[in-house]
Amino acid sequence: MGSIVLDKVQKKFGDVEVIPPLDLEINDGEFVVFVGPSGCGKSTLLRMIAGLEDLTAGKVNIDDNDVTEVSPAKRGLSMVFQSYALYPHMTVRKNIAFPMRMAKVPQDVQDAKIEAAAKSLNLADYLDRKPGQLSGGQRQRVAIGRAIVREPSAFLFDEPLSNLDAALRVGMRLEIMELHTKLKTTMIYVTHDQVEAMTMADKIVVLQAGVIEQVGSPLELYHTPRNKFVAGFIGSPKMNLIEGEEASKHDATTIGIRPEHVSVSTTEGMWKGTVGVAEHLGSDTFIHVHNTGLDTGEGDLFTVRISGDIAVSHGDTVYLTPQMDQLHKFDAQGLRIA
Amino acid sequence: MANRTIPRLLQTPAVLLLLVWMLVPLGMTLFYSFIRYVLNSTVRPEWTTPSWSNWRGFGNYEFVLNSKDFLFAIKNSLFIVGSILSLTVVLGVLIAVLINRSFPGRGIVRVLLISPFFVMPAVNAVLWINMLLDPVLGLQGIAVGAINDMAAGMQDAPLVGWFFNLWPVLEPISFRATQTSAIAVIMMVTWQWTPFAVLIFMTSLQSEDQQQKEAAVLDGASRWSQFRFLTLPHLGRPMAIVVMIQAIFHLSLYAEIEIVSRGNGNKNLPYLIGEFTNNNIGAASATGIFAVILANIVAIFLLRAVGKTLME
Repeated sequence: MGSIVLDKVQKKFGDVEVIPPLDLEINDGEFVVFVGPSGCGKSTLLRMIAGLEDLTAGKVNIDDNDVTEVSPAKRGLSMVFQSYALYPHMTVRKNIAFPMRMAKVPQDVQDAKIEAAAKSLNLADYLDRKPGQLSGGQRQRVAIGRAIVREPSAFLFDEPLSNLDAALRVGMRLEIMELHTKLKTTMIYVTHDQVEAMTMADKIVVLQAGVIEQVGSPLELYHTPRNKFVAGFIGSPKMNLIEGEEASKHDATTIGIRPEHVSVSTTEGMWKGTVGVAEHLGSDTFIHVHNTGLDTGEGDLFTVRISGDIAVSHGDTVYLTPQMDQLHKFDAQGLRIA
Repeated sequence: MANRTIPRLLQTPAVLLLLVWMLVPLGMTLFYSFIRYVLNSTVRPEWTTPSWSNWRGFGNYEFVLNSKDFLFAIKNSLFIVGSILSLTVVLGVLIAVLINRSFPGRGIVRVLLISPFFVMPAVNAVLWINMLLDPVLGLQGIAVGAINDMAAGMQDAPLVGWFFNLWPVLEPISFRATQTSAIAVIMMVTWQWTPFAVLIFMTSLQSEDQQQKEAAVLDGASRWSQFRFLTLPHLGRPMAIVVMIQAIFHLSLYAEIEIVSRGNGNKNLPYLIGEFTNNNIGAASATGIFAVILANIVAIFLLRAVGKTLME
């Protein structure tokens, strides 16, 4: 079991309110991702759930028990840190055994659990090495192993993949997702990377300045962002946000169109612009278009994403046509207009 | 090859200077240790000048080995150094952990803690033996006297009087005595060198990874377990450094021994050398060579024990 309910939790560092009173429900077995720009309070929120950070006000409930005043170790949560936080003087085996040793678990039970964890995480060959002799990915797996053996009611991940290189990150992402399908334990995952959020989450919590901007499934967030911030934050490349005259044509303060919902032609279309940089990825091409005459904010940049390749180069004139049914409209407060 | 000549030439003076500084004294010591050489002799005046014709072979070494103080000096050296090392490391770790927490006036406390290290060894010895440890005039004598007076005064008191009647009259300890002079030296040197250990351990504690501690908290580790399994192993390397450096320094203690008891009941090899140097330079040199050998044996053991920690 591992349902977590945050009830008006608030965090102040001195006079600075990092997290204004905030409510959130996490159901048992869910994979929840906290995502937001750096400094948005997502790690602080996670640490408050873990008990590493005191609450200024509010309550944390785990499985309907108020754990606000309960010590971190007794909350039944495991955490995986960005820096792995392995104990450098112990072997991998002792690292994984440490929480069980602290809980005075019998030695034969310990050995069996270590064996099982090592097998499922491909660590069997490294059990007698020290963390310093392992690669980043292996260290992260040891940290996960140490978290698994406690059989927690929920796993907390604090940006666990940020220190890995890109290729390894994709692999570890899959491993964590497989772990979740296998264990069916609640997982809370903090990241600033919206790709990780989109690919891994059952439920994404988008945070900005300690405030929840939107909670929803990845596709909900993609298709119906509640406000301009979520619209700009979710999706890569970023959504094009257009203000001014073009927006008022649609009775909105701001209109948004995702780069993949714009078609490009060299001969005719709704908006005209010149090609700046074209990024050819093979499967996709990102074209940065300037001088569109649209009010796209600072930088005068309109991004288009097309499948496959197109023969345009720097300075060429192109015509852009948005798919009207994919247009997002926002009012003066930045909220979505249905 | 040619472009290496100039750097080597430029290094030469420094290297030569170092070699001369090391090899000349060592060579002279070796030479003196194999000849008869005394400072003053009316019977054999030819022994007062060093010369090959006074060759004595291993005679000086035999003389030193058979002298009654030699074995005692070696044992006592090891006892003093061992005691000081264990005391400074234990006290150093405890104090460092204590003042690593934040409390008002921490800066001042830290400066005061370091200050014993700036006291000269001889001054340290004089202060301790006269002002603190003296059985009559020192703090020890005054404290023991005060306790005795208090116990005597309480003997007639109701209810608790019987307890103070059982109280033995305390005798102040003379730290210049044969049995206690080594203890006095251990105390004063420990007082002086604990700050050094504290300083090194404190810097190391500040580099301890806080996320590891948080992970340990989540893993259910108590404060003691965190100290035992995280902090102590983290301090392994600085401990090795403290032990090595102090071992080198304390094998050559001299001023404290001289001031406390003039070697009464408390000698080490340097002190023995000092005693021989009053007249018998040959024996003093032979003892010097023994001291070099002892230092190397200690160094080998230390490097074995400590080197492993440093290599990791």
